[in-house]
Amino acid sequence: MRFAFNEEQTQLRDAARSFLTDHSSSAQVRQAMDTESGFDADLWRRIGGELGWPSVIVPETYGGIGLGYVELVALMEEMGAALLCAPFFSSVCLAANALLVGGTEEQKLAHLPGIAAGETTGTVAFAEASGRQDASGIEATAERRDSAFVLNGTKTFVVDGHTATLLVIAARTPGTTGPDGISLFVLPADTPGITRRRLPTMDQTRTQAEIDLRDVHVPETALMGDEGGGWAALRRTLDLATVALAAEQVGGAQRCLDMTVQYAKERVQFGRPIGSFQAIKHKCADMLLLVESARSASYYAGWAVSVDDPEVPVLASLAKAYCSDAYFRCTADSVQIHGGVGFTWEYDVHLYFKRAKSSAVLLGDAPHHRELVAQGMGLDVA
Amino acid sequence: MKILVTVKRVPDPETSIKVKPDGTGIVTDNIKWVVNPFDEIGVEEALRIKEKVAGSEVVLVSIGDKVAQEQLRTGLAMGADRAILVLADDLDPLGVARVLAKLVDDEKPDLIIMGKQAIDDDSNAVGQMLAELLGWPQGTFASQIELSDDQKSASVTREVDGGLETLSFPLPGVITADLRLNEPRYASLPGIMKARKKELKEIPVADLGVDVTPRVTITKMEPPPSREAGKIVASVEELVNLLHTEAKVI
Repeated sequence: MRFAFNEEQTQLRDAARSFLTDHSSSAQVRQAMDTESGFDADLWRRIGGELGWPSVIVPETYGGIGLGYVELVALMEEMGAALLCAPFFSSVCLAANALLVGGTEEQKLAHLPGIAAGETTGTVAFAEASGRQDASGIEATAERRDSAFVLNGTKTFVVDGHTATLLVIAARTPGTTGPDGISLFVLPADTPGITRRRLPTMDQTRTQAEIDLRDVHVPETALMGDEGGGWAALRRTLDLATVALAAEQVGGAQRCLDMTVQYAKERVQFGRPIGSFQAIKHKCADMLLLVESARSASYYAGWAVSVDDPEVPVLASLAKAYCSDAYFRCTADSVQIHGGVGFTWEYDVHLYFKRAKSSAVLLGDAPHHRELVAQGMGLDVA
Repeated sequence: MKILVTVKRVPDPETSIKVKPDGTGIVTDNIKWVVNPFDEIGVEEALRIKEKVAGSEVVLVSIGDKVAQEQLRTGLAMGADRAILVLADDLDPLGVARVLAKLVDDEKPDLIIMGKQAIDDDSNAVGQMLAELLGWPQGTFASQIELSDDQKSASVTREVDGGLETLSFPLPGVITADLRLNEPRYASLPGIMKARKKELKEIPVADLGVDVTPRVTITKMEPPPSREAGKIVASVEELVNLLHTEAKVI
């Protein structure tokens, strides 16, 4: 068993790291997160046009490069480490996956080439005010009127929702409950009846939005798959996005560990570096344990997707549950080890701390994913 | 036009280098290796020429261990067409220049671009030696390169003390790249995938029939002396006194 990146994957990771070191530095991240869009459009154009990252998982038939999840995991880890502010997760991990999993051939041909080229930014709007991650959380309605649908409801916590040009929206047939009756629609974000508002969130490095749907008329061609049969596709999309998100968390946790160890070596108290004190040493060692275990869980889930392993749902939840906890604990300990400067604006630790918290909640928090893992083991709720 | 570009495998400039205790070299364990940054600028310049001049070919050359394949693949991922790896142990600058001269006989490039120096041993000698061995004109420390419309001659701007100097010479010629020549591109995702299918030819140095007997031997390497801790003085008077008697700067 050899569990390591191959030569091309290593090269991709190194190229990503080198680009992000130069173009997603602390100063550049702080500048991007202060803008209304939340990202630097020129940088995003380079990532799409010059580097080709958004094409990673899009098959060649749809204008992509057709690689697998191991490559995506390698990229996500680097983007997480650099806290890159860009609509990559929303466009590729959410929207492209949704189209690949649930889209019709026409929809794939219409939208995937744009996403692969970085020209179309997309996202998936599923969660609502209840914050529930399961099918019952979807209350927005899609009512059939002849050969069209009318969407009504309010979506929230939509990643990059205020800037995306393409939306995938989950809504249910009126009168249905649970997983039944849920349909997915793909539509331009400027469709009449849609109002979008950026949400003020604690983590400024990733934007979220509320999307109001008021009598939004969409043609039948916007329907992804079968009417009322969209839950399985949505669930699968969220599993795939969860694997990618876990990898991003690993990158952030690793960077936190690196910053902390560096600081512990430099900061002198009582005549010696604080890293020589047992209390600090043990905390750093614990962080490394967390990071390495998180990485194992994340890589394994990525590999499972790449070989289409049937265990993907459980492995995705396992990775997300562990990586969420690991990232948050690493950033929390990092603040502690940095002492007084740990919560100053000047140091970057607080940016990672906030990203860790928001990522932990995004696509379901650790207890939610533990519940899914338990269900995967056959411990179903009665 | 055909452009030959050198690609040397060197330790990452970000890596902290440790000298072996016996002074025979550096500790190579756990070092990250990269393309010599000046060579990377050379690759970028060659690719920019290729983008302007239809039908151009960019050939990369590295001399060293089999692992230098990694750096050649990086250059191929940036967009070079093919690569040659001459398998040899550490050569001195003249040995490198002779190997390159032999490859030039076989490849017959119109232009050779190389980094002005490699950041490992900082010799800054191979470009000049190669031009001499070939009897070709040279433009070193280039900060700008312009080719004539017919690609028969080159104009090279050099950063010299106190200003810029521009040289014009007929091709074929040798140009060495300075820092400000360009900003190298990053290997793109499609580029990395295409690189895997590009030709990478390995040639044992013995097959070239070139005399690479070293003229230079490294007798000893040692790390720079570590900085001594500073002193905290109690008064201005004491400081002035120490600057005068100990540091002898006033």
